[in-house]
Amino acid sequence: MRTEHVRVIAVREYLARIRTKGFWIATAGLPLLMAALLVLPALLLTRTTSAHRVVLVDTTGALGEALVAELTGPPGPAPAEPPSESPPAVDTASIEARLQGFVPVLEAPATDLDRQRADLDRRVMAGEIDAWVWISDAGLAEDTIEYHAASVSNFVTQERLERAASTVIRAQRLADAGLDREQIDRLGRSIGLTTLRVTEEGSREEQAAPGVVLAYTLFFLLYVTILVYGQQVMLGVIEEKSSRIVEVIVATTRPIELMMGKLIGICCVALTQLGIWLGTIVVLTLPGVVARMDWLSGYADVPTVAPSLIVHFFAFFILGFVLYSSFYGSVGAAFNNVQEAQHFASIGAGFAIAPMLLVWMVLNDPDSTLSVVSSLIPVFTPILMLLRLAVKAPPGWQVALGYLLTVLLTWLMVWISGRVYRVGILMYGKKPSLPEIWRWIRYS
Amino acid sequence: MPSPSVELRAVSKSYGGFRAVDELSLRAPAGAIFGLLGPNGAGKTTSIRMIMDIIAPDSGEVRFFERARTPADLARVGYLPEERGLYRKMTVTDHLVFLGRLHGLGRRQAAAASELWLGRVGLAGWSARRVEELSKGMQQKIQLAGTVLHEPEILILDEPFSGLDPINQELFKELLAEYRRSGRTVVFSTHIMEQAEKLCDEICLISRGRAILSGALSEVKRRYGGNAYRLVASGELDRAAEVAGVESAVHQGGSVTLMLEPGARGADVLRELVGFLDVREFRSEEPGLEEIFIRAVRDAN
Repeated sequence: MRTEHVRVIAVREYLARIRTKGFWIATAGLPLLMAALLVLPALLLTRTTSAHRVVLVDTTGALGEALVAELTGPPGPAPAEPPSESPPAVDTASIEARLQGFVPVLEAPATDLDRQRADLDRRVMAGEIDAWVWISDAGLAEDTIEYHAASVSNFVTQERLERAASTVIRAQRLADAGLDREQIDRLGRSIGLTTLRVTEEGSREEQAAPGVVLAYTLFFLLYVTILVYGQQVMLGVIEEKSSRIVEVIVATTRPIELMMGKLIGICCVALTQLGIWLGTIVVLTLPGVVARMDWLSGYADVPTVAPSLIVHFFAFFILGFVLYSSFYGSVGAAFNNVQEAQHFASIGAGFAIAPMLLVWMVLNDPDSTLSVVSSLIPVFTPILMLLRLAVKAPPGWQVALGYLLTVLLTWLMVWISGRVYRVGILMYGKKPSLPEIWRWIRYS
Repeated sequence: MPSPSVELRAVSKSYGGFRAVDELSLRAPAGAIFGLLGPNGAGKTTSIRMIMDIIAPDSGEVRFFERARTPADLARVGYLPEERGLYRKMTVTDHLVFLGRLHGLGRRQAAAASELWLGRVGLAGWSARRVEELSKGMQQKIQLAGTVLHEPEILILDEPFSGLDPINQELFKELLAEYRRSGRTVVFSTHIMEQAEKLCDEICLISRGRAILSGALSEVKRRYGGNAYRLVASGELDRAAEVAGVESAVHQGGSVTLMLEPGARGADVLRELVGFLDVREFRSEEPGLEEIFIRAVRDAN
């Protein structure tokens, strides 16, 4: 193989793709989308003003005021917080309160309860209030209170109401049982998990949910880029074959040089894109940046990306890319058009679907036998082993074995593809059968 | 510098049981336009692909510059395949520079050559356009420019005239003439005999993968032309074929081309013909390559 030819081909591939608008739209689009997903909810939270106007009627007489206080005040059993800090700092509790935006009005039970209920219904229908809540001894005996609204699909609001009512009623019941206020607060406190991730460097405090989000994001990026760029290789080969440009190129360039140049060029395009994406992620998760972004709700939980994970990511990308795209390249070479090739290309996509089905299982239990075995099957290794590395450090030997098996399979795939490619690229006309392709591999 | 000759020595290629090229030998001397002729499916493209090392022969040898071909030789060859394409999305200059670089030119050299050749084919103002914006005729010019950009000493062209518009055909003919003048070598294949007849110095006729006649065009004509006479007459022209010594009679417009058997004399045939025809013209004629070819193929089988 002559490197000069490979280089010229690779540079052409790279420039031809990097100069398209589509590449930059996709490259810029994903970080913008991610940023939007981070920033928009926070912006929406701070802007939400719509309030849930609810009338409370407490026929027991003991709970109404406490429930109003619970709904309007900050949630949780410890309401003692300094009222207002520096203006730009938006604390999550008040955002949450505003999101649910209860405007509760306590109304005394009328003498004619049925008429009052009918009147409340009318006010809901007329749009004067959004809902009304009915607290009665009969309901409490069955541990429920009534919630009447034109729409009952607002389960976030309902859940908040449910929680508030439970807190208030539980406190009332405990008080009735003879406990004082301080005891009730202490006993009623709920428990949270402090999640710690065990890594080579020791335990590191990390929020579970963001860790999974990061792992899933990396998994998804790897999965999508390997498949998308594999398809690009196939489409590129088909274009060269059907436009017959390949006839001109093979005059000076060996098919294997053409194929290698193509793989390297497109791989560099993908690496450029992934570099931009991962660079964005790394910059956005630097501790300094996170500290400055604390005005965004939830941003403080973002985990820092370990450098070793980035290295694994690129190593698995290159392996996975070469494995899948050399397969796709040979499929492109063997057939005359996209329709014919699609049939075979779906085999590649089929192999790639399995990790999609396994991802939640691996995330949940990265050390289960199924997780370990499936991450050691070479066609799945690049994607699944990365996922395991992202959520929990697997034993070193498993990572090494994963790399070894994948390198071996990739090498075999490149060898087979090279043979199919060499013959297929100059074959036109009839769609080749499987035995024919087998002959190309054996005899070429 | 050794002369840019092209030579095949007993080259064979089979696909499965089918012998596409069978012990083919030919030699295109420097400074000649060499025509590889034959009907479709005769093995022309396979032969040319073996010359270009795109497919490997089962046996035999390909020689350039009076010695066995080396991989580096191919950068000194300009090759135009029968089915040819361009990257549609590339600009004209980028495309030509790309092709030039594959032929071993440096970036600057390739850019200069592409500018030069765009001017020569009359597309100087189109360098920044994308290939897909060009008409088919213009794309053919780009292909021509891409073939000769690196100033090859040998041109290998597979059916270069197929699909060309008349202007580009003329452009190609000028190019071939220029190559002949400068002592470089052109090998081209065609199934259109009239073209070969007008352009070639040397020919090789192949059929079913075998050379059935070859040599300098004038020599071939003299050797295989034999006894052809042109007859203009009225009467029972169909009977002309039955006259003793006449091998075939082909009606063409108002005249009949008579092929006589080897050794038969024109005077004897004419004596017979005047017996039943009103002969106005009867003269010895150099046969066309087409007839020679048809006869040679028939004799070979």
